[in-house]
Amino acid sequence: MMNKAGTDIQIAICGSAGDGTIASGDIMKRAAALMGFNVIAFDVYPPEIRGFGKCISRIRISSQQAYSLKQESDILVSLNDMHAIPHVGEVRDFGAVIYDDHLVSRVAEGGHISAHINPAQIPYGFSIRQISEQATNSARSRNIVILGYVAGLFNLPGEHFRKVIKSKFATKAQAVVDDNTKAFDAGLRAGRAVFKLDDVEVREPAEDANGAEVVMMTGNGAVVRGFMEAGIQSYFGYPITPATSIMERLAVEMPPVGGKFLQTEDEISAIAAAIGAGYTGSRAATATSGPGLALMAEMLGLGVMAEVPVVVVVSQRGGPSTGLPTKTEQSDLNLAVFGGSGDAQRIVLAPTNVEGCYRCAAMAFDIAETYQVPVILLIDLYLSNRYETVVPSSENAFAPKPRVPLKLVKGKPYERFALTENHISPRALPGEEGLMHTITGLEHNELGRPNDAIHMTMTIKRHEKLKNAINYEGLNVSKRFGDTGRVNVGILGWGSTFGEILEAMYEAQAEGISCSAMKVVMLSPLPVDALRAFFNDCDQILVPELNYEGQFANLVSGALGRPVTRLNRAIGTPMVVDEILAEVRRLYIQGPDTQDGARATGAGS
Amino acid sequence: MSTPIHNVIIGSGSAGFGAARTLRKSDDKCRITMITMDSLPFYHRYDLPQVFRGKQDWRDLLDVPPAYYDEMDIKLRRCSRVVDVEGAAQKITLAHQEAVGYDRLLVCAGGRGYIPENLTSYAGLMHGFGSFEAAMRVYRDLPAGGTAIMIGGDMVGIDLALTLLDTGYKVTLITNGQTFWPHEISQEEQARLLEVLAAKGVTIFKDSRPVGVSRDNAQHAASCVTLEDGTEVFGDVVMSFCGLASSVEFMLGADVDIERGLLVNPELRTSNETIWAAGDVCQIWHDQEKAYRFYHGWKNVRVMGELASRNMQGAHEIFDVDIEDTIGIGPDGQLRSTFWTH
Repeated sequence: MMNKAGTDIQIAICGSAGDGTIASGDIMKRAAALMGFNVIAFDVYPPEIRGFGKCISRIRISSQQAYSLKQESDILVSLNDMHAIPHVGEVRDFGAVIYDDHLVSRVAEGGHISAHINPAQIPYGFSIRQISEQATNSARSRNIVILGYVAGLFNLPGEHFRKVIKSKFATKAQAVVDDNTKAFDAGLRAGRAVFKLDDVEVREPAEDANGAEVVMMTGNGAVVRGFMEAGIQSYFGYPITPATSIMERLAVEMPPVGGKFLQTEDEISAIAAAIGAGYTGSRAATATSGPGLALMAEMLGLGVMAEVPVVVVVSQRGGPSTGLPTKTEQSDLNLAVFGGSGDAQRIVLAPTNVEGCYRCAAMAFDIAETYQVPVILLIDLYLSNRYETVVPSSENAFAPKPRVPLKLVKGKPYERFALTENHISPRALPGEEGLMHTITGLEHNELGRPNDAIHMTMTIKRHEKLKNAINYEGLNVSKRFGDTGRVNVGILGWGSTFGEILEAMYEAQAEGISCSAMKVVMLSPLPVDALRAFFNDCDQILVPELNYEGQFANLVSGALGRPVTRLNRAIGTPMVVDEILAEVRRLYIQGPDTQDGARATGAGS
Repeated sequence: MSTPIHNVIIGSGSAGFGAARTLRKSDDKCRITMITMDSLPFYHRYDLPQVFRGKQDWRDLLDVPPAYYDEMDIKLRRCSRVVDVEGAAQKITLAHQEAVGYDRLLVCAGGRGYIPENLTSYAGLMHGFGSFEAAMRVYRDLPAGGTAIMIGGDMVGIDLALTLLDTGYKVTLITNGQTFWPHEISQEEQARLLEVLAAKGVTIFKDSRPVGVSRDNAQHAASCVTLEDGTEVFGDVVMSFCGLASSVEFMLGADVDIERGLLVNPELRTSNETIWAAGDVCQIWHDQEKAYRFYHGWKNVRVMGELASRNMQGAHEIFDVDIEDTIGIGPDGQLRSTFWTH
């Protein structure tokens, strides 16, 4: 494993919708962050709002940087045995399984989780419901009791949990805070009384751990923070899982600082309004998922044609159609890069972690304004809902730069779409004196007036101006990790999958395989030179991604004319480190001369 | 396809584990479920004093690795307390409200450490030694060079006492009728054996009846045992080593005969034809003595478990091994007991 020393544990809390599973996981991860640990967390919840669906909150707590959730958990806590039983197998040997051993109703043989714990796992049964009822006169605090128990068993400081509980329930009556604190303390006493038999250890975070400066946020939360730091002025949106929380948070955060927020009647209106606002010079954005992006495709073409800066966040989920609305997938790459009519290249950024969401979102407006084009921020449900500790920018690095007024050339009309050396035209905003112009979705000349004859010239302009985007200052459009120089296996990745890729790469290196990984953050335009250099250094190239068709593999292969080995997975859950590692081992054994790029599980094979 | 026979074993000690292993060796199709209150897979409880010799990782005490159970297809249900056995319905109810059916049941629940009745209200102030966790608590609470007070002094306790002396601790022994249990020895023999212990450094209060245990006391010792004559004995931990009391309460609805233990015939079958018993939990009919009697000691217990499992599968073997444990003083002047040999 990557982390040789210190703490590196993963807790999975599993319950039914309404058990408070996600809330419990939320407190756990926030408390761990307060303790100074690095945290990665991801919640899985059902499409149903409430009732019988399964909820799982997984939290990885480490004293060193981690890049993804672990395949095996160290601790599983069951708030509902029916849902938790299938996950007992994910607990490693000598890890802990915590459950209620005093059920209120009878269950048939095998209906209790203790029947499924293997002999190498450590069972910890205790009266979760009873303790909750004794502490608060209600069983509703079971999800808090289990937090106390975990804290007691693993000797975690209780004050951080109490602080988070107080903060989480700050808007409720004091009695709610008191009851939850009592429930936590009761669980803490129960956990401390238990003799610990597992080998899960939580040590003090290293001195160089992030400490108090870190902020815990989801990918969607990071997008919001990035937008706010970049001075977003207008947001238009229509709710859709998993992007909705971006809209919800902006609705709260924008108005107090003068931002304009509007929930529109659908996605078409949202993108149209955002383009309209972008045209006026407002920093404008919208957020959606794959089905929404499909509706927005035509208006995106307008943004490209009219050269209007706008930012569109796309959080992918399983598709097509309604698909798997609460499960993750990376299958909207084609739509983001190519969707719409005509030759309509736009900039597509795909951050690979929560901090990347923050930085890309914060830079997206300036990139859009610099290159006068829509920028798509392509993430997915796994990244949208994943919590990580992030070190935000300490200075106001992403605020809008002061606008330099355009100078009129005497006797010459203002050309909004002037052909220039770098293919970027001087952009005036509506209302600026003497710079009146028209924009249109029709092909147009330098003045913006409809003109078919100049179509080839303008098409070249709209594509060429984007080429420099791969050199945008401060943005790593691609980055190589691991061994330098010639390597046996190179793993190429994008988006949320890259965390698992990095973990696999470190494990491969530990096994003696020379291995590198490259993340590609800018999918359009593609950093072809960097990719070619990477390909030249690698005996074999592996491209793991969460889709069936191998959309990124096709993109890269097509751009470079070079084969890759694909690893495709489309089952709604994140990529598995061991699966990547197994492929790396296979390619390593296979050697450099036999790669035909044909081994794949997807349609692109 | 016929449903495989479901053999359920209550208890995971020497008898229960030996029974499960024997069952599986002779029948690779049957279902085997072991239900135990213990948190750990099978280990020899007689090895528990080894925690004072550095074996503080429970994995070092295991008889077989955890994977063995999966390999043998033996379902091990830990931390599961049986609260009821319905003999007629062939159904077990666990404390967490799960019902488990069986075709054949073997009860190897053993016993719990006996605490003299006048001291039961002080149980919370005493340390147990019946599990790895309990042994580790003693290890944790006994400071280096500290004193363990033992009430009674059965053979498990004597073994621990000798280990403690070897590892730099002090032992105070308050003897009673259970001293050297389960050996049945004369007063003179007991006196001779106690002299050996005293020579090794054990402080002995002979036949003094404890009447109370306390934590706060004049000498600020962690624990204090008050004797009937008012003497106060100070130490760091107090433990009762007074033999075993069979665990049979959960069998009251099982339609079996019970005295102090489950009554079984020499084939180890109870009065219910689908239920057998083995180990410290059962009293076996002794034809010569015309009475039911307990057979303690690891060797007896192990033989019983294996024999019962064969009889569950249709054999009719008689338990007549009756290995009487002996205790004495070896040529080196040290105590020797077959009870400790396993």
